[in-house]
Amino acid sequence: MDADPTPRNGAPLLVPPAANLSLPAAPTWRSLADDPRWYQKAVFYELLPRGFADSNADGIGDLQGIIAKLDYLGWLGVDCIWLLPYYPSPLRDGGYDVADFYSVAPECGTVDDLAQLIEEAHRRGMRVISDLVINHTSDEHPWFKESRASRDNPKADWYVWSDDDQAMSDIRIIFCDTESSNWTWDNARQQFYWHRFFHHQPDLNYENPEVQEAILQVVRFWLGLGLDGFRLDAAAYLYQREGTSGENLPETHAFLQRMRKEIDRDFPNRMLLAEVNQWPADVVDYFGQGDECHMCFHFPLMPRMFMAVRREQRFPITEILAHTPDVPDGAQWGIFLRNHDELTLEMVTDEERDYMYAEYASDPRMRKNLGIRRRLAPLVENNRRVAELLHALLLSLPGSPVLYYGDELLMGDNIYLGDRDGVRTPMQWTPDRNGGFSQADFAQLFLPPSMDPVYGFQAVNVEAGLRDPSSFLHWLQRMLAIRRHYPVFATGEIEILPADNPSVLAYVRIPEEESGETPVLCVNNLSRFAQAAEIGLGRFEGCVPIELVGRTQFPVVGSGGYFLTLGPHGFYWLELEST
Amino acid sequence: MTAPLATSLFDLARTYLERQVWFHRAIAGKPEGELSLVAADVLRHDEPGLARLLVARGSQRFQLLAGWREATAVGGVLKGRESALLGSAPVPGDGTQGVLVYDALADDDLLTRLLALVTEGREHAERVRRVATLVSHASLVFDERLFMKCYRVLEEGERPEVEMMFRLEAAGFAALLQPVARWRGYGCDLAVVREFLPSALEGRLLALTSLRDLLAHASGTDEQGGVGSLGGEIDPDAETASAGGDFSAEMRRLGVMTAGLHAAMSTAFGAQAAEPARVAKIIAAGGSPRLAALGEQIGAAAPESLGASIRVHGDYHLRRVMRAERGWLVAGFGDDPLYASAKPDPSLAPRVGSPIEDLADMCFSLHRVAAEALAQRPASEAEVAADLAAAWERRNCEAFLAGYLRSPEVQVLLPGSSETVELLLTAFGAVRAHRYEATPSAR
Repeated sequence: MDADPTPRNGAPLLVPPAANLSLPAAPTWRSLADDPRWYQKAVFYELLPRGFADSNADGIGDLQGIIAKLDYLGWLGVDCIWLLPYYPSPLRDGGYDVADFYSVAPECGTVDDLAQLIEEAHRRGMRVISDLVINHTSDEHPWFKESRASRDNPKADWYVWSDDDQAMSDIRIIFCDTESSNWTWDNARQQFYWHRFFHHQPDLNYENPEVQEAILQVVRFWLGLGLDGFRLDAAAYLYQREGTSGENLPETHAFLQRMRKEIDRDFPNRMLLAEVNQWPADVVDYFGQGDECHMCFHFPLMPRMFMAVRREQRFPITEILAHTPDVPDGAQWGIFLRNHDELTLEMVTDEERDYMYAEYASDPRMRKNLGIRRRLAPLVENNRRVAELLHALLLSLPGSPVLYYGDELLMGDNIYLGDRDGVRTPMQWTPDRNGGFSQADFAQLFLPPSMDPVYGFQAVNVEAGLRDPSSFLHWLQRMLAIRRHYPVFATGEIEILPADNPSVLAYVRIPEEESGETPVLCVNNLSRFAQAAEIGLGRFEGCVPIELVGRTQFPVVGSGGYFLTLGPHGFYWLELEST
Repeated sequence: MTAPLATSLFDLARTYLERQVWFHRAIAGKPEGELSLVAADVLRHDEPGLARLLVARGSQRFQLLAGWREATAVGGVLKGRESALLGSAPVPGDGTQGVLVYDALADDDLLTRLLALVTEGREHAERVRRVATLVSHASLVFDERLFMKCYRVLEEGERPEVEMMFRLEAAGFAALLQPVARWRGYGCDLAVVREFLPSALEGRLLALTSLRDLLAHASGTDEQGGVGSLGGEIDPDAETASAGGDFSAEMRRLGVMTAGLHAAMSTAFGAQAAEPARVAKIIAAGGSPRLAALGEQIGAAAPESLGASIRVHGDYHLRRVMRAERGWLVAGFGDDPLYASAKPDPSLAPRVGSPIEDLADMCFSLHRVAAEALAQRPASEAEVAADLAAAWERRNCEAFLAGYLRSPEVQVLLPGSSETVELLLTAFGAVRAHRYEATPSAR
């Protein structure tokens, strides 16, 4: 069932025991259809190569380890794997400080391993995208080493240099916990260099056409290898200019459009997913007129889902949806509950941030920059019903859902680890040594696996989840399977429905007129108490709601309000069949 | 098809009105008198026909919209609403059996045509929904996006709620259900159309949601941490501040919105210095010794020290405001004349007064909602729950006042000293508490 990984460097390949897990019969519907809009219907799964599975017992996860787990991901219902950075890096920012754009970090494998991973994923009907850091490099990247060496070398203008550290002082500092300026003095060159993130991540100078061409060459290289697209890191910051916020500048859009054009021309069916942590009204610009990025993350939605559940009322969600503009044809939002970064609170008001800190990050160690560094399960106090409700929202709101590795198990975090490592601990496969992640000695592991009495690998792991038919893992797998049968979740319009109970969020996903699909009504109880609600379904008078999980028929929709009762944090997905 | 004669319609209308609850409420206590036909305007000749009848009884006018169709067509139209039938009427020169006449508000087709008429063709709708109420007007929702009030019991001149809506809009106040069209005739407001926000909810429901979250802590079995079972001392204020359903941020925003409302009121209707003697009279009219003393204290205030007197909302509470996706909105100005008499003393709610009256109204409304939520908790939790509810009321009232009092646009309307603000809040609050205690069913 598992792939047959080829040993490399002559070393025996040690496939972790979890690779031999007995998986239930894999669904057969998935195929790698020639669909240029596959990303609109895909379920994404974000994983950390160093933290997923270690195939060679060196304590660090690698690409061969991922290959060994592809059947698991296929069974779960994943359509596209998003790989966090695997490039050579000094790892001072989780690999987002790239030291070489053209190879794979030795501890993660080789370029050949990546080609094999892509091939094996494609064979199973899954796609693979990877992070591409285009805004900056590590200060150990050869480009920067050359650039800093003198003011007149061939790469002297590949980064943003200045004699003055007061220039562009209106531009905000993103990593405000650690950086006091966006400029850092370089002794070698006797100038300041510009960086939007850590001081060891100098920004590339996109004013220089050579830089643009160099990055496009990197894009061509990886797409040529077979990757299905990129998640473009920090896409909003490529250009900076005095007197501006240094974000979302027209020049940035122009470059992304150029990248899209080249990809469409030479690499059909590939996609770009932009990481732009901005308000939706600004983010939609990154879709262009359908000629820029295929997908963008919807950052402000995520904290508001948590806020709505905590407040037990729907306005945090409906407000942000009301402020979300329509996207061009062919575009899609990427939505998520948690990811490898902190639960970002940049896109909330100060008041909302105080609220979120008070409710979800009572220990200051849980806070990071403008966010909360916690995994899903601890955020919701390991409440299974809340986790199910949040996933029900994730899978039914407009956008392609992006799952974060381990959240399908309700894995915990380790707030005592530095930076954001607390949410990047090894995947928990089995109750065995190192959670089945690696056969290395514990001390060798790149990060310690969770051994917490509640969330530790002894209790929370894939093997246990697979054995228990009522586990969260099985529940999520079923929900993903159901969602797959209803493309309206992926591409339908959303209409928020009136409900007389503030704790109830009801909306209907409406298919395109000629699709032949039926609308799906989604009703969510955001409260920990049972609720009743009268829902305005007037335009669906005469339809029969059919519950999607059990195919149970509900009473026909009449001319007045439609009454529903929901259990604590309960939800319904109801197909509205015309009679 | 031509229309039945006005006299035929009036004869039918007379009998129909006698059957209506709202008609009897409107004439209750008024001198006896005969019904007379003031005007009959045919608005539509083609089937279904439509006419507007203005009928008077003494000085009170009524509007009745009469529709008609051929007898065979009416059954389907009025199915389930048969009581809307007025009767049959001959059609001049027709020679057939005539038509069946009915209350046009029961005919969906005529209502969508009425919407186009009232909005002068700017708005069209496919569906209409009636909001069932036995009051002085019919409430109609079109396509879940427009709301029409079609008045049955008319008022001479400008209807305050309609006037307020349009004047505030003209003053640039946006936190309002936006007015769309106004239908006037014979010196009266006959109908008004405004936007309808289906997902908006009245403030009271949000407040109750917040209280439910907090008061569950009193049970001791709540999954989010009960306090009732701990047995030790609890800090209701800390408990309230840390509750997930904390409402204070919403109340602060409501305070800011209210400041915008008062600023727009003063722009639209003007402002003058509040007269201490008049304010004192309002306070003292409450009737208790405490209010008399407060009235005396206020009456002795220096001229111009009490801030401005402006057109106020006059009935400002959590049912009058709605939370929508774009924030808090004023949902209505609540002047249904048929319910005015149900208020303990309408003279205590003057339409011109200190803006602080509205603030006292809203704070008292928090008290009422807290009492409503407390009543739903079991007696065994009463003590802890009461402490929590009191803390909730305090916290949210403070947040509301902070949002309002810190808003720059109302500084010119407020008394110069914070002590005077406090005194007026106390006095107006005491008036409301006293009124409530005297007649608990007042609202």
